[in-house]
Amino acid sequence: MTSGCPALGVGLLRLAILGTILLLWEALARSGLLFRDVVPSLAKIALALGHLGTDPDFYRNLRGTAAEVGVSLAIGGSIGVAAGLLLGGSRLLGKAFEPYIHYLGPTPKIIFFPVMIMWFGIGPGSKIAMGALSCFFPVALITAAGMRQIDEVLIRVGRSFRARPWQMATKIYFPAMRYPLLNGLRLGFGVAVIGVLLAETKMSNQGLGFMVMQSYSQFDMPGMYALLLVVFALAILVNATISRLGGLDSTQH
Amino acid sequence: MTGGSAGEDGSTVEAAGGTPVLRVENIVKRFVTDSATVTAVDHVSFTVAQGEVLSIIGPSGCGKSTLFNVIGGLAEADEGRVVVEGRLMSGPDPAIGMVFQEESTFPWRTVGDNVAFALEVAGMARAERTKRVRHYLELVGLKGFEQHHPAQLSGGMRQRVAIARTLAFGPKVLLMDEPFAALDEQTRLLLGDKVLQIQQELAQTTLLITHSIAEAVQLSDRVLVMTYRPGRVKRIVDIKLPRPRTAEIIGSKDFGLYVAEIWSDLRGEASLGMKDAEAHLPQAE
Repeated sequence: MTSGCPALGVGLLRLAILGTILLLWEALARSGLLFRDVVPSLAKIALALGHLGTDPDFYRNLRGTAAEVGVSLAIGGSIGVAAGLLLGGSRLLGKAFEPYIHYLGPTPKIIFFPVMIMWFGIGPGSKIAMGALSCFFPVALITAAGMRQIDEVLIRVGRSFRARPWQMATKIYFPAMRYPLLNGLRLGFGVAVIGVLLAETKMSNQGLGFMVMQSYSQFDMPGMYALLLVVFALAILVNATISRLGGLDSTQH
Repeated sequence: MTGGSAGEDGSTVEAAGGTPVLRVENIVKRFVTDSATVTAVDHVSFTVAQGEVLSIIGPSGCGKSTLFNVIGGLAEADEGRVVVEGRLMSGPDPAIGMVFQEESTFPWRTVGDNVAFALEVAGMARAERTKRVRHYLELVGLKGFEQHHPAQLSGGMRQRVAIARTLAFGPKVLLMDEPFAALDEQTRLLLGDKVLQIQQELAQTTLLITHSIAEAVQLSDRVLVMTYRPGRVKRIVDIKLPRPRTAEIIGSKDFGLYVAEIWSDLRGEASLGMKDAEAHLPQAE
């Protein structure tokens, strides 16, 4: 709760922002200033959304993209967590490898896409590789940082009670790192979606990114915007779900 | 007032009476830095008898915490050994239960699950665990807080959770490193009373590391005074105050005499430590 401004006021303001944007959009669409459907009217987009909802092709592509994102998050995320644990646990490894990961992290991974196509083909393999590659870096960095932030006395408590290595991991390290891990997962998911969709728009034969580019090349602007809205909505949904998972614990912190 | 049979480095200092449960023999611990080798603990020996409370007091930098880690098995001594009931310790051992100075409860576990931690690690069955947890929470006065999380408790209560967690697996020796350091004065006094009451109830052999003279005198049967760097046994003082003791004893004349006696021992060491610390400060321009 924000002090000074009641929750109701904030909610109304948010609605007002959304309403203004929609209003401006509609005004722009009707003004005729822009070429044909570059900014289609809201009604047209809504219609396209309706079409999308009944299109079996859309669901097939959605499943494809979701599977690619899921698999790339699983692969990139688990390798990222493992690498982060190693880097966070060993000073030497951390010092040796972290500069590379740190500076490679923000570079655009899409330049590796041609390589991925050669290695994994034009199908889902190269998209998963792109997603996993994107997801690896933030997850590894956040895990390593999280590992170093663990309250050192808790580790000593575990040792003094003779916890075995797997007990240390499951009963101390992982629970102590739950916030950074969830945060890494959230960021990793975000960049995995970017990696997969970007790859799909470049060269592919299926997926939401492919559909967006198809709509674009056929100049089906309402269809394209409808797809973009779906992607936004799905990304927000998953992000909120992950945050919620972390939020449940925050009352216990 | 008579001091216990005290001796400088090397000579074993025996417990006043009863069978020794804990024997600390000729512990030496050195630290190697870039420029020099520093001896933190130098041939420290003493014993603690069954049911006895021995406090180790010394100026900061005397190696108290190093000694704590060595006795608890978290650090390895360069020389010497730690023996509990005739058994040589190597590494952390169930015979010695440690309570740390820092906030050490697990924030993601409930109070009950915190106390169950060591039992869980040791593979105790759930039913037995629950019984023990209940018993020890009641002992430290936290009955009914099983389902709370540490964040919902005060600092003093959290430290009681940590003590219950350590006591729950039944260590022969309770080893505490300034367990009240993070608490305010009033909480410290009350918690001291509580710990003393528990210690008497369990006849718990206890080794307490502290820098507070009043705390040492209030809680202990004997107080071991350490020298400043290298940490050696300077003297052991018998505290012959009547039991049960509460914080009220702090006002008594005898209490004051003991505090004065220990302070006279400690004073020289503490000022050495202070001079040393000042010498290492960057000079003001």
